[in-house]
Amino acid sequence: MSGEDDKSREGAPAEPGEAKKVDRRDVLLGLSTVPALGLFGYALSRQRGYEKKQKEALTPAAARKDVALVNVAVLGAGAQGQVLVDAMLRIPGLRFRAVCDIWKEYNQKRVVNTLKKYKHEVNGYEDHREMLDKEKDLDAVVIATPDFWHARHTIDCLEAGKHVYCEKEMSNTLEGARSMVTAARETGKLLQIGHQRRSHPRYRYCYEKLIQEAKLLGRIVTVNGQWNRAVSPDLGWPERYAIPPDRLKQYGFKSMEQFRNWRWYRGLGGGPIVDLGSHQIDIYNWFLGTAPAHVMASGGLDYHDPKTHEWYDTVMAVYEYETPSGTVRAYYQTQTTNGSQGYFENFMGDQGTLVISESELNYPGFLYRDPNAPAWDEWVQKGYVSTPKLQEVKEKDEQAVLDVRESVSPDLHRVPVVLRDPYHQPHLSNFFDAVRGEATLNCPAEVGYESAVTVLKVNEAIDAKQRISFRPEDFKV
Amino acid sequence: MEEGRLSRLQMTSVVVLRILIGWHFLYEGVAKLTKPDWSAAGFLKQARGPLADLFHGMAANPNLLEIVNPLNMWGLTLIGLGLVLGCFTRTAAASGILIVLLYYLCNPPFVGYFYSLPTEGSYLIVNKNLVELGALAVVLVTGSGRVAGLDRIIHRLLRKPPRPAEA
Repeated sequence: MSGEDDKSREGAPAEPGEAKKVDRRDVLLGLSTVPALGLFGYALSRQRGYEKKQKEALTPAAARKDVALVNVAVLGAGAQGQVLVDAMLRIPGLRFRAVCDIWKEYNQKRVVNTLKKYKHEVNGYEDHREMLDKEKDLDAVVIATPDFWHARHTIDCLEAGKHVYCEKEMSNTLEGARSMVTAARETGKLLQIGHQRRSHPRYRYCYEKLIQEAKLLGRIVTVNGQWNRAVSPDLGWPERYAIPPDRLKQYGFKSMEQFRNWRWYRGLGGGPIVDLGSHQIDIYNWFLGTAPAHVMASGGLDYHDPKTHEWYDTVMAVYEYETPSGTVRAYYQTQTTNGSQGYFENFMGDQGTLVISESELNYPGFLYRDPNAPAWDEWVQKGYVSTPKLQEVKEKDEQAVLDVRESVSPDLHRVPVVLRDPYHQPHLSNFFDAVRGEATLNCPAEVGYESAVTVLKVNEAIDAKQRISFRPEDFKV
Repeated sequence: MEEGRLSRLQMTSVVVLRILIGWHFLYEGVAKLTKPDWSAAGFLKQARGPLADLFHGMAANPNLLEIVNPLNMWGLTLIGLGLVLGCFTRTAAASGILIVLLYYLCNPPFVGYFYSLPTEGSYLIVNKNLVELGALAVVLVTGSGRVAGLDRIIHRLLRKPPRPAEA
């Protein structure tokens, strides 16, 4: 190659007056690497085909003929809306028809484009009433708007004859939540609240098999749980996609900053105790089989800038439950200033302990048998729990001195249930199965309401600086 | 320069090296362009080392990401095309060096720093980014596009006739 080039170069300086023309050799060598691009194109098209097949395998959606198609709209296309859409794209038998979001320039566009990529013909809307007017054949609406919009959106959709899946927290006010329960009853339409752990196979397994049937925990005496989150900067937005101020105002936001970080504002959201805590405190109610009798709580805006944060960044709450087998004290904490040990719920009984979370990485279901409890051999043999790993102190470790008053460490078993799907998929599937009449809701409006009362009262207890008692009728509509 | 002239085998190796690097850049670019929600934010957030704060700041600034993302996607793609085709080879190689240097600085395997994502090898100061950077430097200085590549044609067409005064 370069040998030939040497010749041509040698020619050039020798005849300085003459501008060299492009000859055949120049063209051949000039284009000599183009075939590599052709090869690249071929490899790329193979790769794209492979990716497309994979995608299709994951999303049988409308292709499957054996399930009735459900026409669905997404109301609220922010981060949570995107999470739900991603999970729904894996559920067969859904046809997306519309996406509604006031951030037309960004969120709405993104979700519409995502759905179009999956061959769903969707229309974008800014106003939910316009969507309900125009999209006549919708069967269901999935709502993931800010909490203070939930009641209005849910009630309008129910009254338009649609089934509704509404994200938790059901509402930022108890009046709002109550009106949603009433609307669901009056319209006879389904209303599922997005406490997705209610449909998580591991949670269902632990409750039905381990707590109810095998009674591995014995009498539950205390519960504790937490969701600790590391400090993270407030959400921003690309300046050129900012929503005009008049549209923000029309939908109840003072500024773009507030629109993006609504969870921190009073009157819009409920703060971390509601965003994070309600998922887990809902499990307290479920596993203990009752709502609490009292709550006391301490919390405050200890860390974040009060100019852009109104709700408490740190909350510690103690509930008292009166269950048929006795009093249960349940602690919960959430802090947004340190993410250590993440999130889990820990149910402690006189025979065993269950540490559980939604995650497959951290606390995916650990059971500890207390040393004095009856043997679990039967349940190990039946496969209900894994074979134990003994928690022994190694004799070699001379530093460790076992105090005689210290309890012997319990055996560690694992809960043999994993979820490979996105966290929200089972709960959404349960909703769409119910829409087809093939299932009952795992978290209907009444359950969501009980949970909302339990959690929203924490903020009230912090404000009141005193122990608040619940009456049984507080949880009923 | 005369004794530095490359043999045919040497030049062929450089051209092959150029195509390999170009292919890598091209696919890195195309793969990002075809992912609707790709963003550099995730990579930047993982930044370690002396310049970590700068990269974290970029990740947290949506306005800046609006510029960084397309710049990176299209930069990679165009550099890749340039290297494969030997078109504006030296500009492509120089830009490639710049972009790889940024990746390198984002997660430099310096003593005492570690990357939170698992990597497939063991690195001490030198990692594959730095090797690719070095390879691009070879491509930059050998001007192989003028031997085998579109630069050969472009160069011929654009070359000004030398001034008679100099002759």
